[in-house]
Amino acid sequence: MSPGPAAQPPGRRDRGGRARLASALTAIGRAPVSRRARQELLFCLASVPLGSAVLAFPAALAGLLVLAAGLSAGSRQYRARPADAAGFLGPVVIVVLLALVVLIVLAPRIGRGLGVVHRRLAAGLLSQRIVAPRAVRAGGRGPLAWVAATLRDGPGWRAVAYLAAKLPLVLLEAYAAIVWWGAGLANLTYPLWFPWFRNHPPSVRLSPVPALTPFGVLHIGTLPDTLVAFAAGASMVLAAPWVTSGVVLVDSWLMHALLGPGRLAQRVADLEQARALAVDDSAALLRRVERDLHDGAQIRLATVALNLGMALDKLDAGTGQSDLTVARDLVSTAHQGAKDAMAELRGLARGIHPPALDNGLADALATLAAGCPVPVDLTVDIPRRPTPAIETIAYFCTAELLANAVKHSGANKIAVGVAGQGELLLVQVGDNGRGGATPAEGGGLAGLAQRVRTVDGRLEIASPPGGPTRVTVSLPLHA
Amino acid sequence: MAGLTVVIAEDAALFREGLARLIEDRGHHVAAAVPDGDSLLYAVDQHHPDVVVADIRMPPTHTDEGLRAAIDLRARHPGTGVLVLSQYVETSYAARLMEGSAVGVGYLLKDRVADTADFADALERVAAGGTALDPEVVSQLVRASRRADGLATLTPRERQVLALMAEGKSNAGIAAALVITDSVVEKHVASIFGKLRLPPSEADNRRVLAVLRYLGA
Repeated sequence: MSPGPAAQPPGRRDRGGRARLASALTAIGRAPVSRRARQELLFCLASVPLGSAVLAFPAALAGLLVLAAGLSAGSRQYRARPADAAGFLGPVVIVVLLALVVLIVLAPRIGRGLGVVHRRLAAGLLSQRIVAPRAVRAGGRGPLAWVAATLRDGPGWRAVAYLAAKLPLVLLEAYAAIVWWGAGLANLTYPLWFPWFRNHPPSVRLSPVPALTPFGVLHIGTLPDTLVAFAAGASMVLAAPWVTSGVVLVDSWLMHALLGPGRLAQRVADLEQARALAVDDSAALLRRVERDLHDGAQIRLATVALNLGMALDKLDAGTGQSDLTVARDLVSTAHQGAKDAMAELRGLARGIHPPALDNGLADALATLAAGCPVPVDLTVDIPRRPTPAIETIAYFCTAELLANAVKHSGANKIAVGVAGQGELLLVQVGDNGRGGATPAEGGGLAGLAQRVRTVDGRLEIASPPGGPTRVTVSLPLHA
Repeated sequence: MAGLTVVIAEDAALFREGLARLIEDRGHHVAAAVPDGDSLLYAVDQHHPDVVVADIRMPPTHTDEGLRAAIDLRARHPGTGVLVLSQYVETSYAARLMEGSAVGVGYLLKDRVADTADFADALERVAAGGTALDPEVVSQLVRASRRADGLATLTPRERQVLALMAEGKSNAGIAAALVITDSVVEKHVASIFGKLRLPPSEADNRRVLAVLRYLGA
């Protein structure tokens, strides 16, 4: 028999099982006094007045309809005397109908307002962040444009839909809060006060006190009965957190679905942001290239020309040995400058697009790894070739991550793995250095994450203090 | 002309050294060679040079601090010539630099430094209160000029003379550049001023301004 977890002696397994049971029981016992239970209960309680406010809206609508119907019927009755009936009631009907129209027009705005309240409640009490939808898109100026914009306001109407769905949900939330929590807590108190009110003479018969439970009303007539009420209360309070959790779960699902920006709108917002990043990125790249040219190759070539110009002067000026020596000196400086300018241009060109990348990522990364001052263990496994743009991004990510590892980690070994996985290209750079890498604002890693996001990719950093660091970039195969 | 006192401001060390050597070789004295605009202003206050050679793009912002320092200098030290160098020519920069007056001011591409004699000539001209405008700026101005009709009345030779006038060359300089005699240049100049209805002017730098104004700078 092999000694493993499955083959433990029976006593130890029992103890393990008992421990598990004990921890489960502790969890159940602690649930009613947990912070989460309290917050969810508060959310349910807060929902009740909000739900009533929502209820006020259709109630007002119905009331106005009834009023309008009644008034118009009344005015028909009084048609015989138009002077004091139609003349007075006609405008009233119109006013009521107008109010109705106004209420309907306002619905999306009211919905948005209550949506804000709900999102805040969700954030404050349920720790659930729901992104606010975009603001109402104004179609122009003036009240008519305002009304048109409101009526076309998708997020506003979705908020109205949420409030409509919230109506039955409020009943459930009230039920969870009042019946399970409220009555449960009340039932616990029966044994405490019951004797005080039952010190009557033996001949008097008192009717039993009702105790509310979710499964009916208990009639408490004797002291032992109060213990039953207590037991019922205890189980209700133990169960209450799970009931509220369930109801709140439904509510938060609804909030996410109807009070957020909507999937399409969210996608559009993401794409807009990605596009802005891409535009910024390419503008920054062009600026950097210009700057590098200006401060590098251009000024070197200007200096070469200057030195050659002076050399020409010397050669023109005379035939003396000193003139020739100076001219030779100047030409030699110019020669060195021209070579430096070439090296600089080569570096710049490679920085724009590494030529090895034309043969594929594997070749380019091999060149890159070979040039790294820290030994790099490179593995590349790409069954399907990504598009050139993705290859370029993967290449520059690797280059930047390698440079980071060399500069900051103090590692003496770096591992680079590039693998195609389904529709994704995964680039992983790990080192055995000191860790603690963070995507600080404006830093290299943050810039990298931005560039990766322009193509819907992701960058994940695992770098605990003390190391090791592992950065994973996942890119789609096609941009 | 020899023995000018010169201050150089250029952030690229190799080019700065080359420039200083070139100017010294021509018999002038380089009092200071500094890498940015602030130290340029300081050095000018210290040495009171005849002429300043300044790069446009220098630290800390790498935009146009050299140009701003040059404009500042022209106001503070009207007697000091200012020759601005750059890797690009921008007509708007030229316009800012020469706003109001073309006395003792120059704006050249760095490429021109390689033609050492021409550069030395431009430097001396600017030090003496003349003008040196890069041919590239002039040709940009001519291309973009709204006075195409007036320019079309000029003969090809007259257009060459006009361009050289705009660069700030004197009649003697134009004569040397085109390998013609001074009197022929004078004839061309008179003809150009007549055709373009420009007021005749004696001083070279006024003539430059008149021509530039005509071109719409």
